[in-house]
Amino acid sequence: MLARTALRSTRTFASAKNGAFNFAKRSASTQSSGAAAESPLRLNIAAAAATAVAAGSIAWYYHLYGSASAMTPAEEGLHATKYPWVHQEWFKTFDHQALRRGFQVYREVCASCHSLSRVPYRSLVGTILTVDEAKALAEENEYDTEPNDQGEIEKRPGKLSDYLPDPYKNDEAARFANNGALPPDLSLIVKARHGGCDYIFSLLTGYPDEPPAGATVGAGLNFNPYFPGTGIAMARVLYDGLVDYEDGTPASTSQMAKDVVEFLNWAAEPEMDDRKRMGMKVLVVSSVLFALSVWVKRYKWAWLKSRKIVYDPPKESATRH
Amino acid sequence: MGFWDAVTDLIDAATPWATVEAEAPADIPAESAPAAETTEETTAETKAEEPAAAAEEPEEEAEAEAEEEEEDEDEDEIVDPKETLEEECRNSKECAPAKHHYDECVARVTGGTGAEGEDCVEEFFHLAHCATQCAAPKLWNVLK
Ligand code: HEC
Repeated sequence: MLARTALRSTRTFASAKNGAFNFAKRSASTQSSGAAAESPLRLNIAAAAATAVAAGSIAWYYHLYGSASAMTPAEEGLHATKYPWVHQEWFKTFDHQALRRGFQVYREVCASCHSLSRVPYRSLVGTILTVDEAKALAEENEYDTEPNDQGEIEKRPGKLSDYLPDPYKNDEAARFANNGALPPDLSLIVKARHGGCDYIFSLLTGYPDEPPAGATVGAGLNFNPYFPGTGIAMARVLYDGLVDYEDGTPASTSQMAKDVVEFLNWAAEPEMDDRKRMGMKVLVVSSVLFALSVWVKRYKWAWLKSRKIVYDPPKESATRH
Repeated sequence: MGFWDAVTDLIDAATPWATVEAEAPADIPAESAPAAETTEETTAETKAEEPAAAAEEPEEEAEAEAEEEEEDEDEDEIVDPKETLEEECRNSKECAPAKHHYDECVARVTGGTGAEGEDCVEEFFHLAHCATQCAAPKLWNVLK
């Protein structure tokens, strides 16, 4: 591959040179015919030398480093397979039952490591929880009050306007608890990764029982084909039957992953349902306006389009002027 | 596809004899995934039991039994459909070339006849890509 690109570049280089040379020849020919026109032999030597340098540099690289293994598939990570997510279709909304299940998975599994700091309790109301459920959930956690008369900051139970609590006090504490790896905030993770939902679903369900033969997995890392570099600090977290769904859905690994990913998609894009409805309205209104404009145009142009231009040639007369 | 779904959804909602369901009807997975045998069994069983339990309310014994079975399945017999589907795909004709390469690589590397430092990550990727690609639509039929 590298050799081929190198060859190609020498060829373009040579042709560029030819162009310059032709130009020089044309201007020279106006002056004298015996100017030092470069012979084909010299051109060939230049091309051969350039090729030799290219090949030599490759050989030197191998001599220095032994093997060329840049941009290996492992470095890139396995590209996630596309799954037919229903909520991503044009005329489909989120499945709110799935969101509810997904939120349960997040709370019971992911929340011990990952924050979801951009999601307030109030946004859960009506989409995932009822008001009372959301209030009860908020009240389970304590938040700082405003400073009181003596400037002391006290604790109060959470309100709907509070945001979901972080599992760790700060990033340093999070790293310390996870062998130096920082579990990223999941609020926007679906938008923050190539492959979005497909990637995260594949990541969560893609841990093989054991890494393929010969693969090296760093200390404290786990083999996951979808993670670029294949060594990820997060171990497999979802196992069959880990949560008990309130609606009785069998909690297989892939079911939980699907639900939590749809939930994370909602967290990153809570406006999606509204956005699609607004898009529909725009389409309806603009198609009506377009139809209207076509009719108005027909009306306005009617006199022009329906006129008839008649050429009435003068009567042929016997007399010639 | 999506557009006509929307239209038929609207019509369904408007007609008085239609049943409006917030979720996909329960029997879809069992029918449309003939490939998933083990999962098909489990889903079909659980799905079949639900209506049965609801219909035979007076017969308390039957209901209790059904519920017990259901709980058993929920707790320790959950089989991940993704695993079974992908296993089938890995062994299908479609993925035979990828699997052949992978197996050969594993034999080479574990047998010590491969190049120094060789690993089977790339072969693994090809096989995984093929298997997930083949299982994806089937999996979505089974999952809720
Ligand atoms: C034991 C703690 C822990 C739990 C529980 C956990 N994670 Fe992680 N997660 C981590 C750590 C640590 C990382 C950083 C990995 C790295 O950078 O190598 C991470 C990284 C991630 C990433 C980012 C991968 C990337 O491409 O950078 C995603 C997405 C993710 N986790 C999702 C989840 C989801 C969804 C759950 C719940 C089902 C979950 N995690 C549960 C510790 C955890």
